[in-house]
Amino acid sequence: MKTRFNLVLSGVGGQGIITLGRLIGLGCMHAGVDVSIAEVHGMSQRGGSVIVHVRIGEGESPIIPVGGADTIISLELLEGARSLVYANKGTTLVVNDFLWPPPLVKYPHRDTILAAISGKGLTYYLYDANKVSMEVSGSVVSSNIALLGFALAVDKQLSKYIELSDIEWAIEKTLRGHLVDINKRLLKKSYEDGLRHVNP
Amino acid sequence: MSYILSGKGEKVLLMGNEAIARAALEAGICVATAYPGTPSTEIIETLSEVAGKCGIYVEWSINEKVAFETAYAAAITGVRSITAMKHVGVNVAADILMSSAYSGVKEGFVVVSADDPGEHSSQNEQDNRWYGLLAHIPVIEPSSARDSYYLTKEAFELSSRYEHPVILRTTTRVSHTRQPVELNGDIPSEKKCKGVFDKNYERWVLVPANARKQKTRMMKIWEAIRRNEGREPFIYVWNPGRSKVVIASGISYSHAEEALRLLDALNDVTLIKVSLPVPLPPAPITTVLKDAKEVLVIEELDPVVETQVKDIAVDEGLSVKIHGKNMIPENGELSIDRVFEPVAKFIGRETLPPWQSIGEVKTEPPIPPRPPVLCAGCPHRSTYYIVKTALNKAGIRNTVFTGDIGCYTLGYQKPFETQMTCFEMGGSLGIAHGFGKVLENTVIAVIGDSTFFHAGIPPVLNIVYNDSKVIPLILDNSTTAMTGHQPHPGTGITAMGLRTTAILPEKILEQAGFKTIVINPLRVKESIELLTQAFKEYLKGERIAIVSRMRCALEVARDARRKQVVLPIYTIVEDKCIGCMACVNLTACPAIIVPAGSKKPIILEELCNGCGLCASICPYKAITVKNTPSPEWEKLW
Repeated sequence: MKTRFNLVLSGVGGQGIITLGRLIGLGCMHAGVDVSIAEVHGMSQRGGSVIVHVRIGEGESPIIPVGGADTIISLELLEGARSLVYANKGTTLVVNDFLWPPPLVKYPHRDTILAAISGKGLTYYLYDANKVSMEVSGSVVSSNIALLGFALAVDKQLSKYIELSDIEWAIEKTLRGHLVDINKRLLKKSYEDGLRHVNP
Repeated sequence: MSYILSGKGEKVLLMGNEAIARAALEAGICVATAYPGTPSTEIIETLSEVAGKCGIYVEWSINEKVAFETAYAAAITGVRSITAMKHVGVNVAADILMSSAYSGVKEGFVVVSADDPGEHSSQNEQDNRWYGLLAHIPVIEPSSARDSYYLTKEAFELSSRYEHPVILRTTTRVSHTRQPVELNGDIPSEKKCKGVFDKNYERWVLVPANARKQKTRMMKIWEAIRRNEGREPFIYVWNPGRSKVVIASGISYSHAEEALRLLDALNDVTLIKVSLPVPLPPAPITTVLKDAKEVLVIEELDPVVETQVKDIAVDEGLSVKIHGKNMIPENGELSIDRVFEPVAKFIGRETLPPWQSIGEVKTEPPIPPRPPVLCAGCPHRSTYYIVKTALNKAGIRNTVFTGDIGCYTLGYQKPFETQMTCFEMGGSLGIAHGFGKVLENTVIAVIGDSTFFHAGIPPVLNIVYNDSKVIPLILDNSTTAMTGHQPHPGTGITAMGLRTTAILPEKILEQAGFKTIVINPLRVKESIELLTQAFKEYLKGERIAIVSRMRCALEVARDARRKQVVLPIYTIVEDKCIGCMACVNLTACPAIIVPAGSKKPIILEELCNGCGLCASICPYKAITVKNTPSPEWEKLW
């Protein structure tokens, strides 16, 4: 029973998850593979949990089944942990090393979250995309692109469908002015960080 | 050039809503109208961005009723038009919707109803296909984002052919999914933008005598559609003649098809894709039912197709077992997850789904839920703090706050609790008035600027006319924020970017008889004083209203980035902070966090938009501006 390649993007509304989905979608078009990207807009975007479903390969049904993710890319640790219901034993998790607790609640420590993720027996990769985005662009706004660059280097499943050059093309198509160069530099740097991570 | 205007043969990545907009342009529309509402907004937004280039007229109307009337008026003069609204927006336009079917149109008129199964951003998940049955208007339901591109064009053709309105019903996962779409048509360079009004009073004046005639005319059209339109692309039948039949409508078809494919059972059943669920054309369904022993109808939300299939079986005297909502969930959004097992069971397989979740991650304390919250720097946060503090100072206790639809609805949460009801657009004022007649409490009706224009004016007049002591509180951030910052009558800008008269809520309130206090919520202390005074006057019997005016923080932050203006960034001076948590507990600002294990909060400086509310709350003056803001930063707000 072959299904499509299922990529879950998660994070907090406002972190650029929808933009990330769109860049991957354009990247897939450039790579010549079919894709669907299911987003949510409106109230759920105001600082709430956001999940974007990217399904690569032919097919129309846009939502990834619980347990059906091949890869999960998450821009925040709590959301990464939350979105693991989409994971099965073979899922790869790439998660931003950024813990952003919601207001007025108790929440687990970073190390507790990481231990719980490890306890599930998953392959996971941790990357400080906020820091790298800040270094290269002077703002955390591009942490989405940093995490994608890293993911493309460490996740050999995802990189079967899209390559760095496809995302570079998508950045050129989507962004304007000086943001194109900054984000391409950021993508390259985080990609190289990812390569070093898997082949130290 | 916008990718929406790409040429025939090109492949572009389009959101369902963009695909509908593109298809409407190809269909030759010249008028497009809407009031924004998730998940419909991007249809008209997309058209507004290319309106000038395409020579079409696009407007953000004051509400869905007026949007519908504007587009409908064009269509009865022979100008093709589209109006788009969220499912609950159709309720607002329901009066004219019903009449439009009686009188019909002269040229293609498509009403997009963007439904929201699962209530991602809505107060209910009503299934608007019922409106088709109620109003005798055909409903076309695409199965995917790209399907909506082709079917929108079909919807215009159907509408033109029968001179009848057509509802295009999408759902969130059609509206807000992006897919590559291969464009198979061009946008016509010539289109009809000037209409002719045919003075056919019998048709347009629905007095009872005329309405009876129009009803007869409408029912003939309805019957003709049922008889003639049971064809591709409205009804596709694969593998006719099997004893097991799966009928699926809209996006449910995509889930059903994938489930059957995963089960390697596509050839074991007759599969019907329904894109015209209302009225379901009987002929092709009858043919299939005659060979069938068992049928499974898969559709999201209500049994609209199922009921009609059962009617057809009864009418034809067929003894076939028809399943539907006895196997498929009636509540919430469908997915391959929720469809796989019923489909497997229906075809007699015990196959487990090909995915097995590792389950939820368990931690101590658990992963907390993350509902949406007011953004960092949101002026609504400051307004809520100011209003509650001023009520206290004036000695008013147990205030009841009625609420409305917008970002500010999030004020229902702690620590604000300044939204105690939320039902529908404009509801804050009408509900408050009713409360005012039966409760002893002070009642404050909280409503946003765009919502006030949409549905707040009649109920605010009713408060004065029928004399209740309600205090209207208009949260004016000079935009329709929740749906992505569309202009409205208070902004002085139209959908096409033209300047127009800005209508101020305080002028309307003053005219109606309210003493109206306008505050700037960035100036916390000054506003508290103004409102304390106003509440004291209210206690003496004065009729008061409040307008709190400040731009949306997201727009300010965006403009600051674009114009390279540095906004203040606040920081908590550790030595001065005693960890009283007033800033955390009174603002619930997402930029203020308490690091795990720490007893003192910190500000995530990259998230701070510099509203300064926390600094004015801190009893120990421990919160200060960290950076050097641009001298003109306050002008951005």
